[in-house]
Amino acid sequence: MAERNEPVAEGVFALRCQELKKSFQGVMAVTGATFDVPQGMITALIGPNGAGKTTVVNILSGMMKSDSGHMQIGSTDVTNWESHKIARMGLMRTFQLSRELGGLTVLENLLVAPQHQSGESLFNIFFRPGRAKREERENTERALEILNTYGLYDLRDKRSRELSGGQKKLLEIARGVMASPKILLLDEPMAGVNPALIDRIGGYIMDLKAQGMTIVMVEHNLNVVEKICDHVIVLAEGRTLATGRLSDLRANEEVVHAYLGEVINASTTR
Amino acid sequence: MTLFWLSVGFGFVTASVLAISAVGLSLQFGITNYINFAYGDFMALGAYFTYVLNAEFFHLNIWIALVFGSLLMGILAVLLNQFLLSPFARRFSKSFYVMIVTFGLSLIILNVIYSIWGPNVRNYTMPLEHVLHIGPFLLTRDQLIVMAAAVLMMLGVHLMLKTTRLGKSMRAMSDNTTLAMTSGIDTRRITTVTWFLSGTMAGIAGSVLGIAEGNLTPAAGELFLFVIFAAVIVGGVGSIYGAMAGAVLIGMATEVSAAFINPAWKLDVAFVILIITLLVRPTGLFSRPGKG
Amino acid sequence: MSAFWYYVFTLVFFLFDYFILAMGLNIQYGETGILNFAYIGFVAVGAYITGVTGMPSSAGTGQQYILGWGLPFPINLILGGLTASALALVVALIALRRLRTDYLAVVLISLSLVLYDVINNYVPLFNGADGLYNVPEPLAGFFKLTTNSFVPFFAMLTGVVAVIMWWVMSRITKAPLGRTLRAIRDDDGVAATLGKSVFRYKLTSMLIGSFYAGVGGGLIIQFGGSFNPTAWLPGETFVVFAVILVGGVGNNIGLLVGALLVETLLIHLPAFLPSIPGHPGLIEYIDTMVVGVLLMVMLWFRPQGVVPERIRRSPFTLAKRSGQTLDDRAVVVPVAPVEITTAVGQETTNG
Repeated sequence: MAERNEPVAEGVFALRCQELKKSFQGVMAVTGATFDVPQGMITALIGPNGAGKTTVVNILSGMMKSDSGHMQIGSTDVTNWESHKIARMGLMRTFQLSRELGGLTVLENLLVAPQHQSGESLFNIFFRPGRAKREERENTERALEILNTYGLYDLRDKRSRELSGGQKKLLEIARGVMASPKILLLDEPMAGVNPALIDRIGGYIMDLKAQGMTIVMVEHNLNVVEKICDHVIVLAEGRTLATGRLSDLRANEEVVHAYLGEVINASTTR
Repeated sequence: MTLFWLSVGFGFVTASVLAISAVGLSLQFGITNYINFAYGDFMALGAYFTYVLNAEFFHLNIWIALVFGSLLMGILAVLLNQFLLSPFARRFSKSFYVMIVTFGLSLIILNVIYSIWGPNVRNYTMPLEHVLHIGPFLLTRDQLIVMAAAVLMMLGVHLMLKTTRLGKSMRAMSDNTTLAMTSGIDTRRITTVTWFLSGTMAGIAGSVLGIAEGNLTPAAGELFLFVIFAAVIVGGVGSIYGAMAGAVLIGMATEVSAAFINPAWKLDVAFVILIITLLVRPTGLFSRPGKG
Repeated sequence: MSAFWYYVFTLVFFLFDYFILAMGLNIQYGETGILNFAYIGFVAVGAYITGVTGMPSSAGTGQQYILGWGLPFPINLILGGLTASALALVVALIALRRLRTDYLAVVLISLSLVLYDVINNYVPLFNGADGLYNVPEPLAGFFKLTTNSFVPFFAMLTGVVAVIMWWVMSRITKAPLGRTLRAIRDDDGVAATLGKSVFRYKLTSMLIGSFYAGVGGGLIIQFGGSFNPTAWLPGETFVVFAVILVGGVGNNIGLLVGALLVETLLIHLPAFLPSIPGHPGLIEYIDTMVVGVLLMVMLWFRPQGVVPERIRRSPFTLAKRSGQTLDDRAVVVPVAPVEITTAVGQETTNG
């Protein structure tokens, strides 16, 4: 297994997983995912199709329960917590196939995200209307700024189901950002979007890192990984094969054999 | 003790009716993945088709009338699926819409029955029966036929699912429709066949219920639907064998309890079992992955 | 008062009452996506409790019923609503957390049938199949109302109650709470990953909706002075669904339109038609069929209803906030893109 690169070894981990396992109807999808996600960095989760990446993301976000293993956010053990509790610990996710809240407008999609809003309680609506209103105004201002950043400002009052595929991808990320997470889990944020948008999304992710957010992204495109990711976790056949820098992994025979082989060969035989 | 055995005998009869209807409902649910709230009215309509052939026109023997009446219901179920439910299911991805349509269909069928046959109790034309003593049980010949028919049908469904191509395709579709479609199964044809089977079984169950109870009323199917739901959920939604087991359990429990408490509470016994199941094992006795 | 006006005010009453019932079902189904097929059961519980808490002790009335507290008007009505909510709490704790939407619908419709069965058979509770009758006319003594003047009075009173409940409901649906409910309706998995406790919000929605159901039921029993099981067969739930689906799910004005079209014009107006000789009840049967067909036609051709859910626009813009001369139409992308794809392009050309 490759040595961890320096910043990782010294840093603090935002998220740690140990021996996560999950099977469906007797078929093992995840056979032992063990990895640490360094705080404040962009970590890529890569691996061939069927490596269990999406299952791992589903377990991390609480949408599926693991059969065994542990997971912790910061120093809190959150193994098999319900997804809303994991979200409250500061982990937000996006989906590979965008899951916008279709009946809500673009702006409303963002406004749902902030945690513990006063206006979400019946009591506050009728007995502390001022507080609820003030908070709503602040949230709206913040949401509009985020929409402006993500180029969705003009679409704010459109029902989100009417957006294009690329716009929905942006909305997914913007919604995650609106929740002010500590860790943002992006499931293939650049899949199926045009090249110009890939560059833009890359910029957004770098910007989030600059703001101190920890990013975990499932990604197929190794160019993306090379350009923006600090740390890489390779999954193959449901288990962690290696972790480290992409450059280190290229030297790892096992990784090259399992996954990187063709891609790396293609990009090194210039 | 006599009362106990008597009620066990009734339990077998009720379980038989319940098994036929619960399996019919489960087959369709497995394939289309939405619940048909009009199923109870399918049963009632099938029973009235049998009534028409048996008592109003042709004056067929009750069992022959039952066969034709039920097949008629099967054909009607196919047509309803083809021209009403299937288009809705294709157009709206959320099962809300189809379920509400079946709820509406239920109301329409019920009122069609009321309009044609009125709210009064009707009776099939059947020869008077001698009660047979079989071991500790007291049963009529018709009740025995009902039980035998149920056992044969369960066996038939089992063999169809396990051995025929049709049955295997149905199981594949029930597990994963998209996968079944991509692996070359003609899902539309399977859906049509399933609706035919489900509708026919509803017709048989409805007619048999009328025979077992000695009369038929328009709302009989609707009230019975809840007992079917209880059997299906207790057995494990989507599982054919669960539906059979649930039918026996609920059928027995309701009839045997009637020997000890007021028979008016039969329904509530089923409901209590349903609630206990939900609390203890919400996926039912024979749960299937992906359907719970 | 002429028979004509008596009919008109009866229709007005049902318009307002079904507006209330529609609002209750709408927050459950239209806002939160809960298929409450037991809705009419909650209406019935509200009606019975309003009745028995408002009626004097059952001794000597020739009826059997529990409680008999003889409470004055708004208190018994509120108790009816609260009891319906209490029932919703029990149902939610047992079934809401455990079941996915369609099984929940099955359990709820079963509940509706069992409630019906219990109340019909267990006479000491609410007088069984005969139902409650001689329910006191609220405030009739206070305003010295006659049998004739009670109908318009109570229709108007129901209107007042409906307006209050509409105001309360629109506060809820406009607030972040309503938005979170709609998020759960659209995709409860996403709502959960955004930190929303789906169960808690569904429970809230069930409680609010059931309160509306109970109050709607309580008004019915006090308007008619009687209530029995034939008034709330499980199929009645479908009528309330028809009201909200025809009128427009998620829109309060739509609900009023739906109540007018379905409940007032389709269900109650034909009830005044003379019955066809030799075919008692035929009009009613056909009427119910028409409601079923109408609903299917609406769902197919105009699934959003007559008055669709409106887009909730924000009153704020960036420009208004900062006072800057930021062009409202301009798309500003302050974050610089990273050149990723250009590298890919070079590779392919070079390789």
